[in-house]
Amino acid sequence: MAKRIEILISGYGGQGVVRIGQILGQAAVNQGLYTSMLISHGTETRGGYVRSQVVISDEFIDSPVVERPDFFCAFSGIAYTMFKGLCGSQSLILHNPDIVSPDPGLASPHWGIKAEAVATEELGDAVFANVIFLGALSSRLALLTSEHIVEAIRERLPQRFHEKNLQAFALGRARK
Amino acid sequence: MKRTFDTGNAAITEAAIRAGCNLFAGYPITPATEIAENMSRRLPQVGGYYLQAEDENAALHICNGGSIGGLKAMTATSGPGFILFADAFGWAVSSEVPVVIVNSQRVGPVSGITGAPGQGEFYLSRYLTHGGNFETIVLAPSSVQEAYRLTVRAFYLAERFRTPVIVLADQMVTDGWETLELPETDAEFLAMGLEVVPRRIHPGPEFYPATDDIDVPPVVLGHNTGAACSDWTPTDRGHDTEDITWQHKHAWRLIHKILNHRDLIDEADQWYLDDDPEVILVAYGTPSRVVQNAVNAARRDGLSVGGIRPISLWPFQDHLFKRRAIYLVVELNWDGQLVREVQRAAADGSQVHFWGRCGELPTSAELLEDITTLLKHEPLARDGWRTEKW
Repeated sequence: MAKRIEILISGYGGQGVVRIGQILGQAAVNQGLYTSMLISHGTETRGGYVRSQVVISDEFIDSPVVERPDFFCAFSGIAYTMFKGLCGSQSLILHNPDIVSPDPGLASPHWGIKAEAVATEELGDAVFANVIFLGALSSRLALLTSEHIVEAIRERLPQRFHEKNLQAFALGRARK
Repeated sequence: MKRTFDTGNAAITEAAIRAGCNLFAGYPITPATEIAENMSRRLPQVGGYYLQAEDENAALHICNGGSIGGLKAMTATSGPGFILFADAFGWAVSSEVPVVIVNSQRVGPVSGITGAPGQGEFYLSRYLTHGGNFETIVLAPSSVQEAYRLTVRAFYLAERFRTPVIVLADQMVTDGWETLELPETDAEFLAMGLEVVPRRIHPGPEFYPATDDIDVPPVVLGHNTGAACSDWTPTDRGHDTEDITWQHKHAWRLIHKILNHRDLIDEADQWYLDDDPEVILVAYGTPSRVVQNAVNAARRDGLSVGGIRPISLWPFQDHLFKRRAIYLVVELNWDGQLVREVQRAAADGSQVHFWGRCGELPTSAELLEDITTLLKHEPLARDGWRTEKW
């Protein structure tokens, strides 16, 4: 039986929803794994709805659909409301408590990270919040090594943004 | 092999370049815009031409003109642009112009919804122009890797059959990211079962032979071969005619050069059909991936289930449906298109059911529920606006 990890990331355009998926996917490919990412989005480039469905597996991926996410990064209240129904007791939901209020009726464990505030305080810009989430997520992703994710960050982002994104990744990864 | 993580749009671009494409004319549209973007970057690197047209009708006419000028041409679009190809597509069919057309299906009708997948152009891809009297070759990729393979294949078939070939993708194939292996050497390319047919030039004077022959070189102007190329019915020498006998010969050729060489076109995946399963799921494009997952899961549970994925959609492969079975056809539309062909082709005594939705893929769990219901010979649950009528 294949090891299959399903990750759902959703929020607004401009929050880096697709970028996280690109980095995870690149890391998986670099590590010799199979990966797929479906993207759904509105017409707008910024501010519209975006969703990435990422699947990572050690064998060919038939269905690229995230049906029972192992991880759900909810970057907006709307995204949380829209997709929390997919989450079961095995789904870890990463969210920013300043933006998303957890549903107490949900069996899924929640992990609240004030990523925007941390990014603004430590790195001077809330734009790094997504990579803080990526760092936190990566600490629970047994299938991918941190080294491969760091390598993927370097590959997927322009060089002038490497330093701060790697700091953001380390900040996220250090969270418990 | 170069192992990358990339989109279907990137795969289609690299495939076109590898197949020798040296002209792209198009008009940007989600979710195929990146093909135009990528081609505008890649073509100058290989000495090709990129042109942004004023609209899609012009784009395909430019491709036709380029092809008649000796170039290998491609255009790419989505539904709202695809419909505008109608006029130029007819020219390509009738004048036997090799050209590749990519359509990434989104949700329609008209502009519909941009960033979500649909499958509304199954029939439109067959009849993209008026007047009848022709057959169409349509290939449907279901993954990024297959988008690469089928784009190369489309160029190959376009040259050999002297006809436009359509790659009918969907938003999830073109916008989606996946592991993509790109051949770096000719040996690796050949090992993928791929081939490139270089552009040849018809020497004349029988430019439009009244036969079903393939591998007839296309008409290329500017080489003192004297060909005429127009939208009127041609004689065998390419002169305009209103003689119905010539029209009959021309139509016969357009139809039978394709129908009599189906062995080069027909392609399908068939899962677990050897033990004549009771229920057979049918889908093309990305929904077929979920179907494959559901069929595998059902098999693990010991259920009598199989699956069929047509890879070449047109000409339609009736022979795939000669088993008497309960067919469940899964599509990304609410009105049912592929299901109508399956119903027509299915063996006597078969049942044909429809599972439709738009903008969102089915889940494996949903399909498993319907498989179980069908195996119990019970009616499928309907939520009020899903219908079995098509």
